[in-house]
Amino acid sequence: MRETIVVMRRELNSYFHTPIAYVFGILFLLVVCGMGSLFGSLQHGGQASVSGFFNSLPWLFLFFLPALTMRLWAEERRAGTLELLLTFPVTIWQLIAGKFLASMTFLALLMLLTFGLPITMSTFGDLDWYQVSVTYLASMLMAAAYVSVGMFWSSMTRDQIIAFLLSVTTLAGLFWIVPWIGSKLIGVLPGWLGGDQIVLVLASVSPKHYFDSIAYGVADTGDLIYYVCFCAFFLYANALVLYGKRVKG
Amino acid sequence: MIKVDQLQKSYDGIAYALKGVSFEVAKGEVIGFLGPNGAGKSTTMKILTGFLLPTAGRAEIAGFDVQEQSLEVRRRIGYLPELNPLYMEMRVDDYLRFAGQIRGVAASGLKASVDRVVELCKLEKVTGKNILELSKGYKQRVGLAQAMVHRPDLLILDEPTSGLDPNQVVEVRELIKDLGREHTVMLSTHILQEVEASCSRIMIINLGELVADGTVAELVGELPAGDIRARIQGPEAGVIAQVRELVGENCVVEVVEREGDYLGYRVVPDSVADGLEEGLAQLVVKNGWGLNAIWRERRSLEDFFRHRTYKAQQEAGHA
Repeated sequence: MRETIVVMRRELNSYFHTPIAYVFGILFLLVVCGMGSLFGSLQHGGQASVSGFFNSLPWLFLFFLPALTMRLWAEERRAGTLELLLTFPVTIWQLIAGKFLASMTFLALLMLLTFGLPITMSTFGDLDWYQVSVTYLASMLMAAAYVSVGMFWSSMTRDQIIAFLLSVTTLAGLFWIVPWIGSKLIGVLPGWLGGDQIVLVLASVSPKHYFDSIAYGVADTGDLIYYVCFCAFFLYANALVLYGKRVKG
Repeated sequence: MIKVDQLQKSYDGIAYALKGVSFEVAKGEVIGFLGPNGAGKSTTMKILTGFLLPTAGRAEIAGFDVQEQSLEVRRRIGYLPELNPLYMEMRVDDYLRFAGQIRGVAASGLKASVDRVVELCKLEKVTGKNILELSKGYKQRVGLAQAMVHRPDLLILDEPTSGLDPNQVVEVRELIKDLGREHTVMLSTHILQEVEASCSRIMIINLGELVADGTVAELVGELPAGDIRARIQGPEAGVIAQVRELVGENCVVEVVEREGDYLGYRVVPDSVADGLEEGLAQLVVKNGWGLNAIWRERRSLEDFFRHRTYKAQQEAGHA
């Protein structure tokens, strides 16, 4: 635990010791405010809502989070510090946890700053605070899924741009393309292959499915388990890549 | 301190970078690990530090197996990798604190530990600077400082002086010599003067195999005798014939320089023979020739190194 925190602190510091934190933070908040004023609405008969903001988050995260995670391992590989890191008396899991938590902490700080949005909206009308907090939770879960994908690709390459592009592609694929393919398969597959069930299966691969279900207030433990499994899968793949470095050099 | 037994490493399952290396290192030794580029120095060190897994064989550090008890091993070593990778965006003091913390230095002793290595590596002037701004010599010292901030039993330094200017090289060598008083040190290099200057024992590795192990004096003593050089005034053919007779039929006698009446000869004896200088001098006197210099060329570690590594490399098509 102590080791994880040491790794996490160093990682967080390096966000703030480089322009990344500031450029990233300011851009993110600007876009969020833009989204908020574009889609934040009072249309529903005086009912305030920030659903526009939340609905834009899967898109925002798609570009912002891979940019946040792309350097986590790729930079260590490029600079050669990975070799040093792997000879410190810490386990691969402590390293992964430290970096994962650093990204999540940084994002949590930014999300805290977006609180201005619901607070502003609540002055215009009634805001369902329960709904808002649940949606924040859903956003963080979805962010965790994005971060684990981004970390995995970052561990695969020493080039940050490649890590970024592969992460965006993977996330876009899982999020929109897989369910879209499912929707195109309606009425195509014969019954013995599952028929139209395939739509549900493919849709349920997408993190969006669970984000929506939590955001609409129908969260259950299944959604939570999905996110835990999703992150575990990619973080485990990340660990395998690092372990491979021990074998292949 | 180190016990290595039949260590093998293959990166691709076909070619072996290490072909069964075995050696032992006692506490307090300063080991120079020598070899041409690509001989297996870095591979051996990476296995000892727990970064690489060996393909076969065992390695132990302070009684802990590098594979089975990797964390215990890593707690006891300090490592300076080749090319000295550093977190360039960090400040020197932040970085050293981080290195101490992640290596398990207790919070209460952290400041003292960092201060100690700052003083030892003479980093006082730059503690508040970003590592990126430092000169190469200072960066190297930061690399050394991070490697020993936790007072490791064993320091593993992979080419600690590569890329430094001559003054910095001397400084780092002095530092390593000092470290040898407190730590066991294993350093790799392909600069021979380096080991002569700072190591108590030398190991030479070539094409993945250990080809020599001993002190400088021991290794150089194993070499065939050095060549004899003499400047003699006399008939060339006669001198060569008589020297051959004296030294042995299989020896090489050749003229290597001509200066006025004096010819410089090189005599390469085919076996170790002492007292040849005396014999030659007597020969000159007996024949009434002139002699203005006679000396034996110094055998150096360099000769030994080439002797042990060059031929094998050529045979393997490396050189």
